[in-house]
Amino acid sequence: MQSQSNFKYESQKLGSWYFTVAMILFGAQLVLGLVAAIQFIYPSFLYDILDFSIARMIHINALVVWMLYAMIGSVYYLLPDETGIETVGIGIGKLLFWVLTLAVTVVILVFVFIQVGPATQATIWLITEGREYIEAPRWADIGIVVVVVGFLINTFLTAMKGRRTGIMTVILSDMIALAGLYLAGMYFTDNISMDQYWWWWVIHLWVEATWEVMVGALAAYALIKIVGAKREIVEMWLWIEVAMLFGSGILGLGHHYFWIGTPEYWWEIGALFSSLEPLPLIGMFIHVLYDWGKEKGIKEGSGEDTTSNNTPALIWLISNGFGNFLGAGVWGFFHTLPQVNIYTHGTQFTAAHGHLAFFGAYATILIAMFYMAVQGKYGIKKLRATFASKMAIFLISFGVLGMGVALTIAGYEQVLIARAQLGATWNAFFVAQNQMWMSQAMDWRLIMGIVTTVGFVYLVKDLLTISKNPENVN
Amino acid sequence: MFESFTDVNHSFFGLLNQGPLTLTLFLHAVIVLPMFWIYFQEKKRLESEN
Amino acid sequence: MSRKKVSVWSDNRFWQRSAIWVTGFASLLLIWLTFDTMGQISMGNQKDIDNHITKRVPSATVINYEVEYNMNQNRGHEVPVIGGDDGKGNSLFKVKEKFFGRDDYTQKEANALLHLGKLASQAKNCMDCHTLLGNGAYYAPDLTKAWLDPAWGKNGPMQAMTGKNTKEEAMAEFLQHPGKYPTHARMMPNLGITPKEAIGLVAFLKHMSTIDTNGFPRGFGKIKEGVVYAKSK
Repeated sequence: MQSQSNFKYESQKLGSWYFTVAMILFGAQLVLGLVAAIQFIYPSFLYDILDFSIARMIHINALVVWMLYAMIGSVYYLLPDETGIETVGIGIGKLLFWVLTLAVTVVILVFVFIQVGPATQATIWLITEGREYIEAPRWADIGIVVVVVGFLINTFLTAMKGRRTGIMTVILSDMIALAGLYLAGMYFTDNISMDQYWWWWVIHLWVEATWEVMVGALAAYALIKIVGAKREIVEMWLWIEVAMLFGSGILGLGHHYFWIGTPEYWWEIGALFSSLEPLPLIGMFIHVLYDWGKEKGIKEGSGEDTTSNNTPALIWLISNGFGNFLGAGVWGFFHTLPQVNIYTHGTQFTAAHGHLAFFGAYATILIAMFYMAVQGKYGIKKLRATFASKMAIFLISFGVLGMGVALTIAGYEQVLIARAQLGATWNAFFVAQNQMWMSQAMDWRLIMGIVTTVGFVYLVKDLLTISKNPENVN
Repeated sequence: MFESFTDVNHSFFGLLNQGPLTLTLFLHAVIVLPMFWIYFQEKKRLESEN
Repeated sequence: MSRKKVSVWSDNRFWQRSAIWVTGFASLLLIWLTFDTMGQISMGNQKDIDNHITKRVPSATVINYEVEYNMNQNRGHEVPVIGGDDGKGNSLFKVKEKFFGRDDYTQKEANALLHLGKLASQAKNCMDCHTLLGNGAYYAPDLTKAWLDPAWGKNGPMQAMTGKNTKEEAMAEFLQHPGKYPTHARMMPNLGITPKEAIGLVAFLKHMSTIDTNGFPRGFGKIKEGVVYAKSK
């Protein structure tokens, strides 16, 4: 937001605003995550002041919202590059940014200070909807829809007026689906099975379909920008990814319909479609490595400088390829078959998968976008990694992987003791919670959470100061 | 010939379930097979292009 | 026209059309499946119970009946059995059970209780500590079949702890004053649940236990050690 920016377009500046708020929310996510992790070990910590339910709710909501912010920011950022023109309604775009940010602030303040309400519709409208991941009260839901519709119209009109690229086509259709799906999460019903049926339309069809396609599109854009990959090839990959991601991801939704009251035929549909979900993720990983190596080889052959023009972004992009496959693909497949899921459903196993997948699939590529925005803002031709860049990637990746492993061990223990052995009752749950494997896993989770947070501090420092590094001063 | 129904309600999709994975393989097939048609159509187009 | 060598596999248009086809058709299938599932999981009513029709999500009036969780021979897993078992794991819809002193809740009354309970479950954010139907957070026990937990039943430690004589009263008491009845160092917070909301929540829990979850969770409440063995830390 400073004046000395090198952005050629206002749209890129707006994108960087979104990135700034995303980083702040990312920080909030980590802090509340630490609170919740401490409560697992010392349950009296902030008891009846900021209970686990509240800490955890803000932890996951900050996550979802910072990622949406970063995605919207990314679209505004790459829009002028792709279309060749300024975003048409940039003034309205900026206004909507402030409206959304104000709404998010109010929602978070209500979550922290009011927390819960009486069992009335007023609570659902004003305080919380109490449905995991989409707890935002109904007024905020409507606000979000209005802002997102404005954003969609803006990008649409811009894309129609400017150059039409494959990447833009994918992003636009994906954003429409993403926004439309949110509507499925906006109604109240007494029937909890029906409730969860539609709730999964939002959660699953976001994170295992539309968000993944968004990642594919961002990776395609980043490859063109960072390593100079050829557009035709990148876009062909993108279409293959779309086919595979949606082909497996849409009906892969079935793996959430095993045990919520829905018919038995979902066992089969969920099992095979979602088992195939890792395939496009392997493809994306190979694609990133392949294009990087190919472009490097071409440059080497012609005696050019082989380094990429944005090293930190490239490192994050590669960790995205691998993290997406490992966290979303492998950890997802671990427990996606119904005969396994009957025992793992509702255990720390899911939390392990959640941590690894959200980080590997989304956080990584969005951080790569932050670095590209920093590069654009200061007009740096070749952005090189600093000590802080390396510390950030190492500590954050190591920390999240550590949390994932700890939670996986906790999940195994829960499966064996609470589920397979003791029959899933209230006491069975707590017997499992008291076991050494669980308590040690929770200790390690907290330690690794702190490691992640230290990495985050390096990341903030790096994003703010990397432009001043002597190597990066043009 | 048909497997007896075990689920609570009868349904078309339940009926397609005639053994291990029959339902899901059927759905996979109807999604993937038409791609052959797209393939040959595109092949024809590429061949006729200069 | 002579045949040229062409590569469809590296052709953008082929993949673009394939992507559109796959996405569109998978979406259509999902919509079809959704209509089918909606029909199967819509909530039943008292008429279904009177006609002995098993619904995946039964009428709210199941609170008037005894509920068990038994192995069903046809299904091959446990199912909720309402109002008595025919010996094969099917509901008889006969045996009643008092719920807060009554077993004659009308459809309207039962619906209202369930509505209040479902609202309370969201207003109090149950799902961010507990799991409902296995979904939610993993800080506190799963509530899918909580109604059937022997710990709340006659001679169960949880019922004894609250000093009440029935399952539903014990649960309602616990919900209103969780700080008074710790079952573990990890205690449920005091969420300001009113007596009325507590009754609604217990009705919601009892109703949820009658939803056919395809055998999830396996063997719920069947292992003695899972009920009485646990000691708080």
